[in-house]
Amino acid sequence: MLSIRNASKSFSGAMALSGANLDLAAGRVHALMGENGAGKSTLIKLLAGVHRADAMDVSLDGHALALSNTEDARKAGFRFIHQELNIVPHLSVAENIFLGWAYPRHFGFTIDWKRLEQQARAALLRLGVDHIDVTLQAARLSTGDRMLVKIAGSLVSVDGEDARLYVLDEPTAALSEDEAEKLFRVIEQLKAEGVAILYVSHRMNEVMRICDDVTVLRDGKTVLSSPIVDTDRQQIIFAMTGRDLEEAHPKRETPIGERIVCAASGAATEHIRDVDFELHEGEIIGVCGLTNAGQSELLQMFMGLSAVVRGSVTVAGQPAPSSPFEAWQRNIAYVPRERRSEGLMLRRSAQDNMVLPHLSSLSRCCGIAHSKAEETTAARLSSSVRLKAASPRQSVYELSGGNQQKVVFARALAAAPKLLLLDEPTRGVDVGAKFDIYSLMRQVSSEGCSILLTSSDLPELLGMCDRIIIMRDGVQSAPVPADTLTPATLLAQFYHLEAA
Amino acid sequence: MIRTLKLYGTLIGFVTILVFFSVQLPDTFLTAKNLINITQQISMLAVVACSMTLVMVMGDFDLSVGSMASLAGIVAALLFSMGYPVSVGIAVALLVGVLGGVFNGILVSFFGILPFVATLGTLTMFSGLAFFTSGGKTIFGRDIPATFSGFARSGLQLDQIGLVGLKLPYLSLVALLVLVVVWFILEQTIFGRRLYAIGGNQEAARLAGLKVRTLRLCAFAMTGLGAAIAGLMYASRVASANPTQGSGLMLDAIAAVFLGMTMSEEGEPRVLYSIVGVLILGILDNGLTQMSVDSYIREILVGAIIVTAVAFSSITKQSR
Repeated sequence: MLSIRNASKSFSGAMALSGANLDLAAGRVHALMGENGAGKSTLIKLLAGVHRADAMDVSLDGHALALSNTEDARKAGFRFIHQELNIVPHLSVAENIFLGWAYPRHFGFTIDWKRLEQQARAALLRLGVDHIDVTLQAARLSTGDRMLVKIAGSLVSVDGEDARLYVLDEPTAALSEDEAEKLFRVIEQLKAEGVAILYVSHRMNEVMRICDDVTVLRDGKTVLSSPIVDTDRQQIIFAMTGRDLEEAHPKRETPIGERIVCAASGAATEHIRDVDFELHEGEIIGVCGLTNAGQSELLQMFMGLSAVVRGSVTVAGQPAPSSPFEAWQRNIAYVPRERRSEGLMLRRSAQDNMVLPHLSSLSRCCGIAHSKAEETTAARLSSSVRLKAASPRQSVYELSGGNQQKVVFARALAAAPKLLLLDEPTRGVDVGAKFDIYSLMRQVSSEGCSILLTSSDLPELLGMCDRIIIMRDGVQSAPVPADTLTPATLLAQFYHLEAA
Repeated sequence: MIRTLKLYGTLIGFVTILVFFSVQLPDTFLTAKNLINITQQISMLAVVACSMTLVMVMGDFDLSVGSMASLAGIVAALLFSMGYPVSVGIAVALLVGVLGGVFNGILVSFFGILPFVATLGTLTMFSGLAFFTSGGKTIFGRDIPATFSGFARSGLQLDQIGLVGLKLPYLSLVALLVLVVVWFILEQTIFGRRLYAIGGNQEAARLAGLKVRTLRLCAFAMTGLGAAIAGLMYASRVASANPTQGSGLMLDAIAAVFLGMTMSEEGEPRVLYSIVGVLILGILDNGLTQMSVDSYIREILVGAIIVTAVAFSSITKQSR
């Protein structure tokens, strides 16, 4: 249906795409994969008419198509659902669905709210979604429902501009497992309507499950293009990285220590309760559950970000820190969930970002900054996390997602942590960078650092953690050894904790 | 090309202005006497702009600096008129500046009021205080000791470097000192690094263990102190104190920092660039006055320059 040939694009001299090809068929889900910086985003932006290609031949149903601006892409029936969901939180669901389109009107004059809501409801129903109230404020929806609203919005069409192609960019990155399931059903629905779907994801399991074809980009070129049934994980990973990743999750090689590093007993904060576990030296405990079941809050409790109201929480024998300042002082390091809004100063350099919590310890005296020490520390950290940047002086804004995450990680490592709190550390990170992060986790753990890890990537949890804690509506379950679990049993427990 | 223009556009504008006045005023503009005079004219603005940079680095503003300058002048003059020695008057005025800044800082960082709103409020409060304590009158004449007003009129003799009969005004030296101190704080200390981090991402800075509230409070206190210093310089220069005399400083100071920001690659305030902003405004003032251009025209020009510089730097930012 849609064929893209020789897509090329360079940004200020750097080739982002050099002759990539992509063929999409109606009624099929096509995965677009590749490491961060392989050119996926660029290709999508060319399709969307956001950037103009240096060279690209696009044909839709055999006719040549020019994509010089976003209007062209819209007219061709291309719809884009981005990672960062741009809904307008204080408008209703119905209004969000109609955003960018003409609202139905009485006699072409005042807005016909009834019809607006009806059509919005119809658009959601087409997706098989009937649990969302269209009069609700969009701010009150869960992340998953927001995504469904966004998709419904792209189903609304003006005359003769039916959607032909949906581009979903990492749609499940912010979704819980159950929300992702809903999305997959919607994708089935869209397939049945005969549209093409371009599905960008780092998650191999999803791709193997819901996609029909796959195209892999590496260094701006198409290196693999095949029906899913004719390929396998190993081949796809090899195509993406150019090397075999024998072991996706490096195994534990050193034993867990005896000493208890942190302990919670009957602890509660405003949103979580019954937190009860002991974390040993070098141990990695995974914290998981459905979206917002209290995983992040559990980590924040150890960071001095949410106050303990009941029970006791100790780290290295002392009560939990009362502020992030105190936490860093006590060698508790934190990688927050949202790297852009909570982790990084995007416009500043990798170096500034890495040394930020450690400025005083790098200073020689009296609060005067020691630039040399900052530089050498940043250089040392960059190499230990294998940061791919022109120099530690490069602004973080220009780095790929995986490298940005490595900067946040490096900052935590520089604290020589005794306790490392990792909140979704590999979200939106490519396979290669993921592996680097896993290796670093193993390394610090072997040096005696204990880790609390939250993740919505179940294989990651099972592969990296010694024990797993499940959170359900803010209540903690007893830790279970990870080797007794499978993704399926784990998922089942998210819903039926009492059956466990 | 665009990148060069973006970074150096403001500097090119600055040089253009210099060349323009040198050509228009061949006999009076580029003389040692006039240049020294300019340093004195801009000294108060420079002090306020430097200390304003401290809060603008964090993405904050302090709109109350102008009325704080007036208030500090009034406080000192009142104490002089009550017979207190010059040192006491100056010390108390500076203390008032710090306290006013701390008050701003508390409103902004502990009550979480937007700096724009908080300092707009304190602008009015400080101004009201200045009017109230002075009774709305200008304090001048015998009430102002000669040692105080003499400070602004004297300076370092420059005979030894060949400029016979000229002196570098103490006011210019004070401004230079403030510049060096602020530069040192921002560029060489941990404190400065942390202020820039807050400007980069306040939440990330907090999660990385920075005491964001305390840091913001300190920066506001310093800005208040800077405003008070400028107020005293002004009072010394005109040998009087008036409850409105500092009010022009605030907008010019923010304008200067904004002009400076257009020169920085990251779009961040840098104190040395802020000084270039101050120089642009000061030289325009000096040159246009010498050409007897209406002061209203000067305002139009200054506004247009700021808008052009900022618009230009944001256009080039978008086209990336």
